[in-house]
This record gives sequence, C-alpha cells and structure tokens, in this order.
Amino acid sequence: MAQGSTNSFLRWLRQPGVLAAIPASVFLLIGFAGPLVMVVAYSFMPSKTFTLMQAPTLENFTSVFTDSYYISFSWSFFLALVTVGLLLAITYPIAYGMAKLFGKWANLVTLLVALPLLISENIRLFGWVLFLLKNGIMDGSLQTLFGVSASGPLYTVPAIVLGLVYVYLPFMLFPLVIGLSMIPDTLKEAASDLGATRLQIFREVELPLSMPGIMIGCILTFILTLGSLAESKILGGQAVVMIADDIESAFTFAQNWPKGSVLSVLLIALSGLIVFLLFRRIDLDKIIGKR
Amino acid sequence: MFGRQNRRNFLQMTGVWAAAAAAGSVPNFAHAARDKELNIYCWEGYNSDDVLDPFRREFDATVRAEGLTSDPDAVNRLRAGETKVWDLINVNNPWAREMMYPEGLIRPISRERFEPMFADMMPQFHPPYNWAMDASGEHLLGMTQRFGPFNFVVNTDKISREMAEDQGFKLFLDPAMKGRYGVLTYDNWNIYHMCVAADVHPFKEHTAAEIEAFGGVARQVFNGAKILTDDLVQMNLALINGEIDAYFTGGTYTASPARYDGAKNVRGITPKSGPMDGKGGIVWIELTSVVNNPDPSPLADEFLAYVQRPDASKKVAFAEGTYNPVTQMGSDAVLSQFDAEELDAIQWDTLEEEMANSVDYDINPDYDKMYDLYSAAKRERES
Amino acid sequence: MSASGSSFLELKGVTKKFGDFTALDSVSLKIEEGEFFTLVGPSGSGKTTMIRLLVGMDAPTSGDLCLQGEVINDVPANKRPTCMVFQSLALFPHKSVGGNIEFPLKIAGVPADERRKRADQLLEQLRLPLNYYDRSPNQCSGGERQRIALARALAFDPQILFFDEPLSALDYRLRKTLEKELKDIHRETGKTFVYITHSLEEAMVMSDRIGILRDGRMIQVGTPDDIYNRPKDKFVAQFMGEVNTIDVRRKTKTTVECEKTGASFKVAKDLEGFSKGFLIIRPEVMKIGAATKGLPNTMQGVLFNDYALGSRVQYQVRTEADNQHWLVERLQDDPLESGVGDKVIIGWRPADSILVSA
Repeated sequence: MAQGSTNSFLRWLRQPGVLAAIPASVFLLIGFAGPLVMVVAYSFMPSKTFTLMQAPTLENFTSVFTDSYYISFSWSFFLALVTVGLLLAITYPIAYGMAKLFGKWANLVTLLVALPLLISENIRLFGWVLFLLKNGIMDGSLQTLFGVSASGPLYTVPAIVLGLVYVYLPFMLFPLVIGLSMIPDTLKEAASDLGATRLQIFREVELPLSMPGIMIGCILTFILTLGSLAESKILGGQAVVMIADDIESAFTFAQNWPKGSVLSVLLIALSGLIVFLLFRRIDLDKIIGKR
Repeated sequence: MFGRQNRRNFLQMTGVWAAAAAAGSVPNFAHAARDKELNIYCWEGYNSDDVLDPFRREFDATVRAEGLTSDPDAVNRLRAGETKVWDLINVNNPWAREMMYPEGLIRPISRERFEPMFADMMPQFHPPYNWAMDASGEHLLGMTQRFGPFNFVVNTDKISREMAEDQGFKLFLDPAMKGRYGVLTYDNWNIYHMCVAADVHPFKEHTAAEIEAFGGVARQVFNGAKILTDDLVQMNLALINGEIDAYFTGGTYTASPARYDGAKNVRGITPKSGPMDGKGGIVWIELTSVVNNPDPSPLADEFLAYVQRPDASKKVAFAEGTYNPVTQMGSDAVLSQFDAEELDAIQWDTLEEEMANSVDYDINPDYDKMYDLYSAAKRERES
Repeated sequence: MSASGSSFLELKGVTKKFGDFTALDSVSLKIEEGEFFTLVGPSGSGKTTMIRLLVGMDAPTSGDLCLQGEVINDVPANKRPTCMVFQSLALFPHKSVGGNIEFPLKIAGVPADERRKRADQLLEQLRLPLNYYDRSPNQCSGGERQRIALARALAFDPQILFFDEPLSALDYRLRKTLEKELKDIHRETGKTFVYITHSLEEAMVMSDRIGILRDGRMIQVGTPDDIYNRPKDKFVAQFMGEVNTIDVRRKTKTTVECEKTGASFKVAKDLEGFSKGFLIIRPEVMKIGAATKGLPNTMQGVLFNDYALGSRVQYQVRTEADNQHWLVERLQDDPLESGVGDKVIIGWRPADSILVSA
C-alpha cells in the first residue's frame, strides 16, 4: 500500500508538466511563500524582538485589537471601496469606447493612459500637489482669470481619493477593455433583434458578460488601494492614516517587527477573505460559459 | 557552509547578503586584503560623490556608501551582523557612547592621532568631548562633524522669530494656530518635541503623569495639524505657499534648502526656555565611528582624517539635499570656505545663541511607551 | 396575401452602397405570407447585406422595404416583428438553455411562470429534452444549439423568421437532418421563413421559392423546379453543381450548332427568339455506351477517368472533336463494360437540353 502510493507519487512526479513546473514552484516558494511565512512567524513573536527564536505569543494580536488600529483599517477599506466605485463609473464608458467605438484611436487612448505609468508615482502625485497647492497652478489661475481664490482640496480626504483614482485608473481600465472587447457584437445584435432596448442589452448581455473584466479590475484596484500609502501621505497630508502607513511605522520608527507583522497578516487575511467571498459569489467560469 | 549554521545565524546571514546586495557588492568574507576597500553606512551627505571622489582618487580606493534614514535602524543592522560589512558608521551622538561601544559594535580610534583635531573645532566640542568618549573617559569613539539645532520652523512673515522663540513649542498648542501648521513626521523627533511642549524632559525616566501629559499634547498637536508629511521639501513648499505658517519638528537641517533657494522667511527656531534644565531646544551632533569589523580596512582612519580637512568639511556641510553647520567651522580655514549666502542658509548668525539654548540629543528611556501613544494619536486624529 | 393586395414582405428597388461599393443594386422582390423563401448566392453576392437590411441592422441607401404594405426602412431591429437565427447562433453564454429561450419573453415582460411554460413547449416542439432547461448552451452539441437558437427565435413569435446560414458549420449528415426538421417546423408553425445560404442544394430541399443573388442583383426568382430545369443563365445553371456546357448558335428551328466544332445537336423546343448562347446538359441525364443507341445527339470520345459517387458513378470523357471533358453519371448497379482509355460514345435526349441565351 505504502509502496504503491510511493510509486504513484513518483509516476506523478515524472510527468513533463510537473517536472517543468518544479523550477517555477521552487522560485515561488522561496520568493513568494517564504517572506509570507516569515511575516506570519514574526507576528507570533514577543513585541519588539528581531529574531524568530522566541516562544510564540498572541500578545501582538491582542494589543492590535485593543488599540485603535480599527480606524486605519476602516479608512483603508472605506477609501478602497470609494476608489473602486468611482473607477468603475469613470472607466466603464471609456473602456466601452476603446473596445467598441474608437477604432484605431483606441491605441492612442491606450498610449495616453499607459504613458504616465513610466513616471514614478510619487513624482506624478507631487505634480498634483503643485497643481492643487494654495497659490499653486489651479488657485493662481483662478485668481488671475476670475479673481476668486480657491484654497484647494489639498490635504483633505477628497484629495486622497483624487490621487487614488488617478494612480489606479489604468488598473481598472485595461481589464475592462479586455473584458468588453471579448463580448461578440453578434450577441448584442441578437438581443436587439429579439426586442431588447439599449438599456436591456446593457443589463442582460453586456454587464454580465463583462463581469470577468469588472471583477479583475475591481479586485486589482481594491487590493492596490488597500496597500496604498503615497496618496494619503503626499496629497492628503496624512489627513487620514492608512493601514499601510501604520505598517511602515511599525517596521521603522517603532522598531516593532512583530506588531508590523500582525498588521500585515490581518491586512492580507482581510483582503484575501474579501476576494475569496467575491469569487465564490460570482462564478467567473459560469459567466464566460466555460461550464 | 550553511550546514553548520543555526537558524538564527541563517537569518542574520540573509540580512547581511541583502544589505551587501543593496550596497552593490558582495562582501568579501575571505581574509583577502581590504587595503583598498571602504564601506560607509551614513546619513545622506557622506555618500555624495563630491565628498567621496577626491578620497577615491587620493587613496586609489573602492569606496561604497549607503545612506541611512533612521539611527535605530542602522544600529539594529549592525546588531544583526552587518559589522562584517561596514567600516564606518555615521549616526547621531548618543548611540556610540551608550549603545554601540558597550555592545562591541564599534572600536575606539587613536586618541593620539584624532584628539588634536577636536581642538580646532568650535569651542563646545573641545576635547575631551563627552559624546565622543566612552563612559570611562579613556577611549575616543568617533569624530563629530555636522550638527544642528532641531526644534521647529516658522514663516517669519507670519510669525516673528522673537515671538516664536519666546513661546517655544507652546505656539502649537495655541488654539489660534489650529489648522495653520504641519507636522513633519520624523516620529522620534516628534516625540521629543511633544515632551518639551508638555513641559516634560524627554531624555529622563518619566512618571505616569508625565507620560499622560505627553499623550495629551500628542493628540492636541495632531488634531490641530493641517498636514502630516515626512517630506521636508513638501513641507517647505507648503510653508512658502502659505498653506501653513509653521511646522512642528524641523531646524537648520530642514530650513536650509529653502533658505539657500532664497526663501529667507523660512527659519528654524530654537525656543528660549523649556523643561530641559531650563532649556527648550535640542541639538543633534553626528558622530562617525569605526565599525568593529572582523576584517578591518585601514582606510577607515584615513577617511575620518580626510573629512576633517577644510575643503572636505565644506563639502560635507553643503552636500546635496540639506545644508548643515559643521563643528570644524571653529577654525578660520574652514569658515573662510563659506560665503555670506551659505552662512545665511545655515542661520550662522544665530547659531551660537541657539546652541546655548539647546541640550544635546539623547536617548529617551520611555520611547516605546510614548511611541504607542504617539501612533494612536496620529491614527485617531480628528481631520 | 394581405387585404390591401400588397405582398407580405416586399422590396422595392432596394439599393445599398458602402462608399463607392454597391452591395445591393436595385433589388425588387415579393415574399408571401407563410412561404419558405431562400436567398442563394456565392460569398460577396450581397446576401449578408440583404439580411441585415431585412432584420433592421442596416438601412437601405435607396428603395423601400415594406412589411404588410408599410415602409419599415428606418424601424430599428428591436422594434420589428421579425427575428433572425444568426450564423454564429449568438446564444448567450451566461444564460442557461431556458434563459436563452425565455430571453425575448423576459424582454417583453412576460411573467416567469408563463415564460417557463412556453420554454417547455418549445423544448418539446424542437425535440429537446426538458431537463436541458438548466443546462449551459456550451454543454450542448452543435445540432442541439441550432434547435435552441431556433426555439429562442420562435419564442419571440416573429411574423417573419430569418436564417443567416445557420447550418453552414455543421457536418453533412447533421445538416441534412436539420434541413428536414426545419422544413417540418415551417409547416407546423405556418410562419414565413426567409433563409440565406450559399448552397443551392440546401435551398432545393427546403424552399417553396428561391431567389438567386449575384453581385448585388437578383438574377432569378422561382420554385426549385424552375431554377433546376429552367435556369435563366449559365451562372444559375452552373451554380447548381457540375454541368456540361458548350457555346452554341441557332442553326435551324430545332437544331443548334457548336461554335467550336460545328457539330449539330437537336433540341426539343422551338428555337424562336434564340440566336446564340449556351447548351447545358446535366451529367445525370447523359447516356454512355450502349444506352446511347437511337439518340440523335452523340459524340465520340475516350473514357478519361471514373469516380465512384456512392450510389452513382461519374465518368469523365474527353471528346475527340474538341478535346473537351464531358461528365456522365449513372447508377452503380448499371456498370459499363469499357475501361479507362477505351473509346466510348456519349449522348443525350433532345428533351434534356437546357438552352440559355448569352
């Protein structure tokens, strides 16, 4: 019996697919799973230690739960939700245009959207600071042209949202474009031929069929926003403290790796849970008709 | 080679390799001669090519330098085994005497060769200079160079220097200042300055009441702040553009780049009085020490001597990013290297007065407790 | 026929241009209620343009489309009482078989239980198992998918049902079965079917009438018998499949003369009005060997090749007079004594001659 299972394991191992996957798996294990395991392990070490050779403890978890970290978590999740919602509303029409209407101009739009990605995020955000700053480009122009002074939204929550929407727009737009362009035009024509109005086509055909793109875009931007830091720091003047900011402080100024690890583990677990629940609720395979 | 290592060593080793990779080199563990090799771990400025290139040429040396952003981080890396990597470490004054030397992370330098150099420095630094000596007073632990008062910064068009100096950190507790200032989030410095604002001496053991007073001030400072950022350029920009009139935590180190660019209304302020034996200001002094590397480089001492030279001192003072006074300005040979613009950028006119009103940066025994209160206050900030 | 006397669906001089290219050139056509009408044409003949106009996905450049006497040129697809089965079928992959069939009913606001009842009826009518209701269309076979698409179109209860080559992707046997099924469903429902295909053979099986399109023009409209036996020109005749064609001119009242060889052939009908054109003889009416005895129209040739076509055999004969290849077909159970390379005689009855003017 044991002999048999060993043999079948060896046979399984000898398949070309399994063999070919070994280097990538080892690399993933070391490069991806390894650090993750370290972070989890550190979260069980006593506060302010720098080794993993201590007796495990839950003290960090209890201290995180009794402290006010729920505020940072709430802000991060709230801003992530708002950002994802705004991005959907903004990018869906653009994506629709790029996938179905713009024709050769779609390439130009792609280029215009992708080009800023070549510039460091911090520099682009700092550009917004100069634009929104008191006596900055926006304020100065308004004063010169209309004589009104708008002490801009800089260092407020709306400024953070602006930054998040601006920075993560491509990560919502491109999955949507791909999702929408995968819908055959004949399906919409068929729906119309069967009596559906423009709105009914959208609700019954386009929206459900673009769900894979929407889901990927939402998850991507949600996770990115959850872990974001620069927007609240640069545009928000830390009007709110994001959870990523707390994690960074714990690892640097506080010199408390275990606490930073606990916060990281909680963030990973919470966002993982949300993604898992979403994927369970919306069956991508079913939508694209694989099953 | 890893077979005999225990897990802890393995982790430390990975840290070393990562650090070495970051520094752009793989450390040479074998006992090859390191006559021509020098690795420096320092605050930004010493890693500038303006400073390093003449040394590289003169000594035909391969010099690698990595900037650090936090004293405790740097010391922790030495503790984690990076003494094998670095030859020189440049951190603020208390660490050498109180932590690194007692823990065997650095080794003393020759008093005979280096002590005379202190005699040429500004009077406060004449030998035996406390922070450069070990507890017994026998060993010389490093060389001073850059220093600066570090308290807060105002726009003198909005708040006069006199008023700011008289009010000290209480300025930020004035209800009229709510929404008119920023906090430069150098967390450790914020904590010391919040202590001062709460009439608590930051560098002593604290009573529960004192820690509570600190927590109250921390909340008040954060709740009244318009901007929080750890970027001094952004903070200066907000000050110049009128978004804010002052910022909590700052000094010549942060004000000098704006002043050198012509914004003379940006000024570091040292309070006239406060809870630290009557004083209200804090000054930091960098100390460059020789790391207790098991395979030491003879160039470490040479570099320490090299940066004492007048032209090198000037370059360290005016390296990229920020501009700072150097202790070597006590000698005319060094002072004459600076023009009027440069002296004004580092507030030379009031430096002596500011130093007289300051105590030296030190270690806060209750830092961890206060840090928890501090980070909670920041998170729970009412915006 | 409707009360007004006009046809059910009528095209009056319909032209469609895309830039300089004329896809449909002044096409006029009448389709009667309850008819199974098939439009046949090779690719590029304007079939697809035609169906897009008929369904309402495009508007004509000029001319009128009339449904029961009313011009519907600008009525959009979703407002027309017509419906199409797409070439790709266009089944919604995110909906179940039932969801697909119920789609037009849902759009029309029919209550769920009624929809379900109608869907079950349609599944039954199209010989689909009732438990397919919850299945994904992607789990169904090609033929089943055809039936689902048809059921969905029937659920819409259209006045006219259009078909855009829906069977073209299927294998021969399945296509043959479905052609017959479609014909049955046409009879059962009594609806007007307008079918588009490039296969005249397919059209012959199902249609009441056939229209032949070429280069955007309607060349001939008629019953399958008309098209088969009285093709209007060489194109129509050749479109049906392999035929023997020679260029001829009139010689006497009942004979024509081959342009190339000068040989005379008898034709059955009076050649009034014919001067010059093509003589067309289908391979299946050609005789070979002993069977040619007594026929007025014969030629000498060499048996060049023979092909087994299942129940029939096709012979390729090279004529001595002009080295042309002639095709002759006869039943398998009536074998020929001659082998490849032997001299043979081929011929046909004057009544089997088809003459079209050039």
